[in-house]
Amino acid sequence: MGLDIILLFKYVPNTTTVNVDPNTGTLIREGVPSVVNPHDLVAAEFALKLKEKYGGKIMAMIMAPPSATKGIEYLVGMGIDEGILLTDRVYGGADTLATSYVLSQAIKKVVSHYDLIVAGQETLDSSTAHIGAQVSSWLGIPYVYYVTEAEIQDGHMIVTRQLETYIEKYKVKLPALISVLMHSLQPRDVTLKNKIKAVKEKPIKVYTNNELQLNPLCTGLKGSPTIVAKTEFIGKIPRKMQIMQGKPPEEMVSWLISKLKEEKVI
Amino acid sequence: MEEMNILDQKFDVAVVGAGPAGLAAAYYLAKKGFKTVVLERGREIGSKSIYGGRIYAAPLKEIYPNFNSMPVHRWVKKERISIMPDYESMISIDYQGKDAISFTAYLTEVVKWMGIQAETAGATIITDVPVTNFYRENNKVAGVVSGEDVLRSDVVVDAEGVNRLVLEASGIVKPLKPELVALGVKEVLKGDSKQIEDAFGLSQDEGLAWVFLGAATANVPGGAFLYTNRDSVSLGVVVLLDKAIVNLKDHISQLVESLRTAPALKNYLKNLRISEYSAHLIPEDVWSLRPERLVYDGLLITGDAAGLLLNAGYTYRGVDFAAYSGYLAGKAIESAHAQGDYGAGALSSYEKMLKDSIVIKELNRFRKVHEIMKNNLLFEKYPKIMSGVMKRMFENSDGPSKAWDAINESCKENQYSMLKLLINGYKIVRAL
Amino acid sequence: MSSPERKLRLTDIINVNIWDVDSKPHIIVNYEKCKNCPTKACVRLCPTGCYTETENGILFSYEGCVECGTCRVVCPMEAITWTYPKSGKGIFYRFS
Repeated sequence: MGLDIILLFKYVPNTTTVNVDPNTGTLIREGVPSVVNPHDLVAAEFALKLKEKYGGKIMAMIMAPPSATKGIEYLVGMGIDEGILLTDRVYGGADTLATSYVLSQAIKKVVSHYDLIVAGQETLDSSTAHIGAQVSSWLGIPYVYYVTEAEIQDGHMIVTRQLETYIEKYKVKLPALISVLMHSLQPRDVTLKNKIKAVKEKPIKVYTNNELQLNPLCTGLKGSPTIVAKTEFIGKIPRKMQIMQGKPPEEMVSWLISKLKEEKVI
Repeated sequence: MEEMNILDQKFDVAVVGAGPAGLAAAYYLAKKGFKTVVLERGREIGSKSIYGGRIYAAPLKEIYPNFNSMPVHRWVKKERISIMPDYESMISIDYQGKDAISFTAYLTEVVKWMGIQAETAGATIITDVPVTNFYRENNKVAGVVSGEDVLRSDVVVDAEGVNRLVLEASGIVKPLKPELVALGVKEVLKGDSKQIEDAFGLSQDEGLAWVFLGAATANVPGGAFLYTNRDSVSLGVVVLLDKAIVNLKDHISQLVESLRTAPALKNYLKNLRISEYSAHLIPEDVWSLRPERLVYDGLLITGDAAGLLLNAGYTYRGVDFAAYSGYLAGKAIESAHAQGDYGAGALSSYEKMLKDSIVIKELNRFRKVHEIMKNNLLFEKYPKIMSGVMKRMFENSDGPSKAWDAINESCKENQYSMLKLLINGYKIVRAL
Repeated sequence: MSSPERKLRLTDIINVNIWDVDSKPHIIVNYEKCKNCPTKACVRLCPTGCYTETENGILFSYEGCVECGTCRVVCPMEAITWTYPKSGKGIFYRFS
């Protein structure tokens, strides 16, 4: 018997490289393509490793406009089995509360069985880290975050969680939701075999609110109490590269410390 | 040897690379009912595509009946060639034609359009996947390898571009040498369409193709170009790589920046902002770069990988030639299929069709250009002589000199024989 | 808008490009071989300046690579193991 895993993910504008107009110093937004949130790729890798160990099935789930199908294709290219796209006009403009509501209701309504929900630590574009906590609350299941390892023991899951100065181990009942520590794994590459499957078989189900029948007052802009008053670009911090090489380590370390103090970094 | 994972699916044709060559082949073949797959390493079609900036229309019109929906930016109705003795001055020849035969566009958009045509015709396009080798059965190419996965096909079209990693891995070609290629570096400078039209004196949809010789490449053999797009300008520099290794003192990006900020171009590039910076290798010595053959058992080689790019000295022509070679590869596969054989013999109609086509005819016509381009004089001495001539003619406070005297004096000043100048000038004109 | 006639630094120029940077390099440089290189042509000819010359030799960073192949061709030492990024990573052109 394997694990049935749901992978929650987001398809976000790729801002891993900060693009700045050299003349105006402002952020460039035009034509920035979307990617699967890099921290969710780490979660996907985590889920794939669990599947390799215990067998089972991984389903990627997203609430987004239809263009996010590309993101599901990418994940299927990595080895995720199938995807669910929740898309409807009434879901547009959602904050994390309205998003987690739709995700959790969809899990209740259209997913017949699951043992584990896996999510990335946070998203590249908003970094709230709300979704995992909120979805687990809606579903009433345990939630552990900053997870680096998980294994099954006697029908429970032993989850390792890495904090700055501690490593904690939790024993949780399944089903549970875990969010995976960012950068803790290197996501695998897309393979030809899996990408052909993604394109030819299109293992993607699409649900709109016609099927889900959620109260539109709880979804999208209407279901979102968060108001973003203002966002401000703080500008790019110019890098000041200095190279120190070929000296004894003690000397180089004290040089580095003095430089960092000079820059008021420490 | 890694373990190979042979996939269950099999295609009639596998195409390596979703560029102009690969997509034209896929479009033709899919339309003729072949089960065709295109494998592309980029995230999307076009995300790795870059070129100078101008495409000749006729070959594409022949391939695509619905050419009308091509994402054309501007039809080139103005041509200008300028010789820059330095960044402050230039001597220009303008040509204004009536009928435009080429257009400017973003290649990223053009191949996206070609991808839609291929997919609509029934081809499967797989992105995110680089092909690493050919798969062989009984010494025939019988599919492609990506990592550990093998996808089988009756025949493979190699349209991988100038960096021929697959052809190298399979032992068909050797790694590129600097004398075979040129390096093109380009900036796309954005404004709005009216700004472009005002700055370059263009009407709506009308485009300019502008070539620079001389200082624009710091006198390294090569050239520079400017194309007007709808609301932007493509400004770039091309240098022969072997010459650049020896003669280029600054960083290559400085050539484009020097041109962009050149006083001679000041009035044209005002208030445009840089929106993309790109670079690409260009087949230069196309005859030496070309693989020994363009067909092997189960394999056809097209586009830049085959060296099917025209180097006319003052301009390159690659996109439409690549597409046309892909189209002809498609036709050759169709006829080989009718013979029930994908051996090199049956596929060789590709080479014959190429020979009779505009592609090889034009390549032959410009065969001598490469030799002349290798001549440093053209990029160093001649611009200076010409500038001396012009200065004598136009900046002489005693009134203009006679052209002949001006040439004579300028040659003397640059320690160059006027006879040699005339002979070489004749050679250049003949080669072009 | 400041004067466009000012030359921009290469780091500012490449800032306008979009990359999906891979977490692992697709190009590997054997720095030992670089030590005896007579040309160090990669430093001047890599269009995005991925190769820098330091007191202690060549330093390579793959993040700004536009996958043009120039370094591989100009390297006289065969010091560069050159492949394309996988999974559609690397440069993402939009207007070229």
